[in-house]
Amino acid sequence: MKNTAVKIATILLMITLLFGCLDGRELSELEIVIGIGIDSADDPDSIKLTAQVVNVSQLGLSGSGGDPDSKPYWNAATTGTTIFEAIRQITHKTGNRLFVPHCEVVIYSKDVAKQGLYKHLDFFLRAIEMRLTSFILIAEGKAGEVLDAKPQTEELPAVNIYNLVKSYGFTSHLYDVTLKEFSSRLISEATAPVAPLIKVVQEGENKDVQVMGLAVFKEDKMIDELNMDETRGLLWVINEVKSGVLIVPTPEESGVAVFEIETAKGKVKPEITDDGKIIMHIDIKLQANLSEQTTAEKLARPEIFEKLQDNMSEVVVQEIMSAYEKSSKTGSDIFGFGDMIHKKYNKKWHEQLEEDWEEIYKTIEFDIKVDSKITKTNLLKNPVTQKLGG
Amino acid sequence: MNVERGKINVTQLFFCVTGFVEGSVLLVNFAVDMTKSQTWMAVLASIAVAIPVIYSYVALATRFPGLNVIQINDIVYGPILGKLISLYYIFFFALTFSFNNRDIGELYKIFIMPDAPMIFFLAAFAVTCAYAVHKGLEPLARVSHIIVAISFTVMLLIFLLLIDIMDFSNFLPLFDVPLISFIHSVHVITAIPFCESIAFLMIFGSLDKTEKAAKYVIWGLISGGFILLNVAVRNTAVLGNTVTIWTSTSFESTRLIDIGTVLTRMDLWIGVIQTILIFFKASLLLYALATSVAQILGLKSYLPILLPLTAIEVILSATVYQSPVDHAMTTQNAGIFYSTPLLYFTPAITLLIAVIRKLPKSKRRKRS
Amino acid sequence: MIYVLTIYTLVAIINLPPLIKNGQKRELFAFIAFFIVAFVLSLLYAMDIEIPSPMEGLKYLIEDFMGLKYPEPK
Repeated sequence: MKNTAVKIATILLMITLLFGCLDGRELSELEIVIGIGIDSADDPDSIKLTAQVVNVSQLGLSGSGGDPDSKPYWNAATTGTTIFEAIRQITHKTGNRLFVPHCEVVIYSKDVAKQGLYKHLDFFLRAIEMRLTSFILIAEGKAGEVLDAKPQTEELPAVNIYNLVKSYGFTSHLYDVTLKEFSSRLISEATAPVAPLIKVVQEGENKDVQVMGLAVFKEDKMIDELNMDETRGLLWVINEVKSGVLIVPTPEESGVAVFEIETAKGKVKPEITDDGKIIMHIDIKLQANLSEQTTAEKLARPEIFEKLQDNMSEVVVQEIMSAYEKSSKTGSDIFGFGDMIHKKYNKKWHEQLEEDWEEIYKTIEFDIKVDSKITKTNLLKNPVTQKLGG
Repeated sequence: MNVERGKINVTQLFFCVTGFVEGSVLLVNFAVDMTKSQTWMAVLASIAVAIPVIYSYVALATRFPGLNVIQINDIVYGPILGKLISLYYIFFFALTFSFNNRDIGELYKIFIMPDAPMIFFLAAFAVTCAYAVHKGLEPLARVSHIIVAISFTVMLLIFLLLIDIMDFSNFLPLFDVPLISFIHSVHVITAIPFCESIAFLMIFGSLDKTEKAAKYVIWGLISGGFILLNVAVRNTAVLGNTVTIWTSTSFESTRLIDIGTVLTRMDLWIGVIQTILIFFKASLLLYALATSVAQILGLKSYLPILLPLTAIEVILSATVYQSPVDHAMTTQNAGIFYSTPLLYFTPAITLLIAVIRKLPKSKRRKRS
Repeated sequence: MIYVLTIYTLVAIINLPPLIKNGQKRELFAFIAFFIVAFVLSLLYAMDIEIPSPMEGLKYLIEDFMGLKYPEPK
């Protein structure tokens, strides 16, 4: 009996290892796609698709021994009326079928996003080889150019973009929206989809990319943008702030204290009062370190900490409100308040709110409680200043 | 008189029922269309509905120990009406086997090897089942506990790997589904995973202690139902409101496993487990089909007709539906209605008539 | 086509001799009957001739004739 169990376990383990061999293809026959960009073409009915293919033979050689002109990637571009048609068109250039399981980023240009993404999203969800964990981004300008901006330390632009999005937590100024998250927001009747914005920045001869802010969608059409602070306002509410920098005015307003967010937790409770008002109770718990200050004041004192914490809370509230105000102009519910109400007040939602939620969204009232705590002041307990010298 | 002389014990029966119910785990999908994020409630309700129905099967079998349902029909309804009712059973077994065979064909065609022709999967799978059935009921029953153990382990593991990305607020709001859709969903779930175990009416006759069967069958049903529940909960918690758009919610949720970018593509596990489970279920169905056909024709053994029957089944499963879409749409309506009288009422009515006519006359035993 | 023929010849070779030897007439007839049905169906399938599905008939009978159908889920 014991033996049988061991044997079965061994067989199962071996099966697991074999999964990788499934539909096995040789490396030399593969065109490994690591990123896809979609632009509008000259013909309004078609799109231009750029697939970033890894040039395996050049990988790791650029700069040192390799041919300086050849890049470790190749942006193959074609036009087609649909994504799948365009992807198959590329085989005319590559001679091989594209291998997309490693495609980590899908970038749409802004003008495509403004016309609507439904028709350009279906393929990525339907194709068995794609992953739902791939990131979706919106490019200011051309998606093809974004995929060509070569970073200094990273060889492959698409991998660079992937890393940029993945590490959004350092500033919480953008948000990693996966295909799954995006489609989930798209399906929801209330919640508006969002996607991070990416743009090319020209610095001297080099082109860099920068990801910051969010594009806001109504149904599948992009209608608005959030800047960095507004984005973080959104993230506070949906509990996705990982870390970041908070700039808080000091009590005497002589300068600013800069805090690093250590932990942040956001909770939302919807309430519909008896007279039909909608109140969102937002509760945020925040811990931060003093990382920098620009004044000569001695901040590390209990009473000043109190005031700083209040100021910090005020900054958070402002960020949240700025995000709400921006989104209420277009009536796009980026926070998902509608779904929260739907979950709690199912009947009222269907009877009164569902129909014109867009309008009702603009009348929501807020009750925001931010509980900020300063946990440490890092290596200094006093600022470097002559005031204390005497 | 009986076409099969092998004996199985009640513990094996428990694992057989569990494995049989689990074999339909993919079909939770059909219910998701109707009940969306409330599918778990439909599964619970279905267990409650299925228990008395399945109990009527067991009660019928324990009243006629050692006999299969074809023989029981002859005794209760007389030779002509009995044969007609038996034909209904056989028709059901034949179609159900072809559906399961088709399920596996579509699974492989869509998710695992998209480039191969489906008839190949259908034939290979049916022949494998035929091989298992050729060996008889006992070997199948003897591996049942291994199959159940493997599937439980894998399901649990997948659940744990996904727990990180589960969002349990996805189940809210409760009771957001129209009543008719809920009933529809319960109908699908009771009919397909649970009541298809009517095939066990061909197997109960081979039990060594028929009187004790009821308890084990019901527990088998509940533990199989537990796995269905686990899958329904997992898929909704992971996929949220997107749960309705996927061809297979189980595959899609498992595809989201990404632990340190190393443990990925675990969806293949679903394929492996599904193959094993449907193999088990389909083998039992094929066994029920072969024995019932042999019984109604008065053959001494089902072995001579096994291969021709399998061949007919392969063609049937290749042509029974035009496409996976047809499969899903038909199963949600005609596919559950045609069997409703058989699954929910026939065994109970048979039992009732047997009680009224005080059957069986010769060797009457007390019902458990 | 050629596959179908080969497979059915194989099945016949494996199954027929013991049946004839043992003189089980009932089994033999049952086997031959099912064998012919299976063979004809397979040939039709291999020749791409459409075989009507029993589900089509059931669908007509249940959904259209008897009107048993759940409303389309939203």
